[in-house]
Amino acid sequence: MKKLLEISLGVVTSVGGFLEVGSMATAAQAGATFGFHLIWAVVLGTLCIIFLVEMAGRFAAVSQYTIADGIRERFGFQVFLWPLLATLLVNFLVMSAEIGGVSIALELATGIGFQWWALPAALLAWLMLWKGTFGLIEKGVSILGLVTLCFVVGAVMLKPDWKAVAAGAVPSLPAHDATNYWFMAVSILGASISPYLFMFYSSGAIEDKWDKSYLGVNRAIAWLGMTFGGTISVSVLIVSALVLSTNGIVQVDDYHQLPLMLIPIFGFWGFVLFVASLGIACFGAAVEVGLQQAYLVAQGFGWDWGEDLKPRDDPGFSTVYTVSLFLAAIPIMLGLDPLKLTIFSMALTAASLPLTVVPFLFLLNDERYVGAHRNGIVSNAAVIFIITLAFVLAVVTIPLQIFGDV
Amino acid sequence: MNLLRDVLDKQVLDRKGVKIGKVDGLVAELRPGKPPRIVAAELGSITLARRLGARPGRWAARLAAWLGGDRHSEPHRISWKKVRDIGLDIEFDIDGRETSIFDWQDWLRDHFIGRIPGA
Repeated sequence: MKKLLEISLGVVTSVGGFLEVGSMATAAQAGATFGFHLIWAVVLGTLCIIFLVEMAGRFAAVSQYTIADGIRERFGFQVFLWPLLATLLVNFLVMSAEIGGVSIALELATGIGFQWWALPAALLAWLMLWKGTFGLIEKGVSILGLVTLCFVVGAVMLKPDWKAVAAGAVPSLPAHDATNYWFMAVSILGASISPYLFMFYSSGAIEDKWDKSYLGVNRAIAWLGMTFGGTISVSVLIVSALVLSTNGIVQVDDYHQLPLMLIPIFGFWGFVLFVASLGIACFGAAVEVGLQQAYLVAQGFGWDWGEDLKPRDDPGFSTVYTVSLFLAAIPIMLGLDPLKLTIFSMALTAASLPLTVVPFLFLLNDERYVGAHRNGIVSNAAVIFIITLAFVLAVVTIPLQIFGDV
Repeated sequence: MNLLRDVLDKQVLDRKGVKIGKVDGLVAELRPGKPPRIVAAELGSITLARRLGARPGRWAARLAAWLGGDRHSEPHRISWKKVRDIGLDIEFDIDGRETSIFDWQDWLRDHFIGRIPGA
């Protein structure tokens, strides 16, 4: 019974935590421009994150190491430095994008420009980490995040042609704008496969004191939670494909186009639901990425860490999240376009994946860490395939997207 | 046990179980006619920087001495005799509070974190 409760709670938190500015923006863009054709990228990304989250939980439960501790110990500092720097940079951009998402939501709600909201949003996220406990952050923020389920309701109410939706789940070549198509596929993959998500999950498993008896719980949470999460992303894509393009928006290049998505379905409340979804989902993600920055640095250098400690008992740890949250607010304060930043950071995430995922896969196949609970051939093959695909697509399309088609 | 694989970069705990850092380096004593012997573990940014190269090592040492005074111009060393247990982490029979390892965290607490309300 207790386990069942753990599973449901875990699923709720992953559902609430799945959708953030990246998945929302990339799915909405893809739907508007390419209809259902990019659903396969969401499916592939979700499949990959299911495997990675399951591995992260299993690794922590069996070895009692977090991923950062494991990589550093197994490969040494010289190797660990690269995933560390890459993840810190990518997390910084993602955190900035999330703060941008919160700020846009507040702008939509109040009419006051988004730049003005960056600092208050960062301050609120920081306050959550300063005063909150891990349980509050994990459960509280994510349960509020369930508001994003409104996209699923919306998608069903729009009565899409389910056959066309299923056809979109099969990869296909683009009929037009090939570069843009593949770049969007990369951004979607990067948005679904967030390194912070599975690294955060492994720190959470240690904070919640998981042991081997949690392996079943872990598997259930990874599969159910991430599948539901992926369903929300697909729903955003469906709603966008059906609503935005019929209203003449075939290219999303501004957040202000997005609230329209839910209005034909829910009327005025559609606007409210969109703003709430955007604000809450991005806020939750900003808090989690901020915490993950502190986990990563503290674990990498062996400092005392733990969200349940008082800030004065782990000053190094709390300094990292404090400084990184405020640094991340700066680009938005300066007026950097949150949508461009989001899409760019998602593509960069995809490009950086091999740096974190490859050493992680080694750990999951090392008997000294996971004993008999090593990876099977299916999970190894699936993750290697998807990561390689994301990396190759990213390396090819990012320069093309920046410098334009030649 | 494989020193480089299993001990280097391990989490270090003090006798109270407080995390005080990682085994950033190992100090060995060369003995004529006998195999070398590990005499100490080194912790801290100077050791880490030295692993990246001689020049980063010198920069880190200069920076540490400039920020923390002479006390910090050399890496922190813990005698190998103090090892109590090597498992998931490596535990030393010392009190982290009595070393200079926490100086920078204490400074942060006194000058930054501790000044923010609610710390």
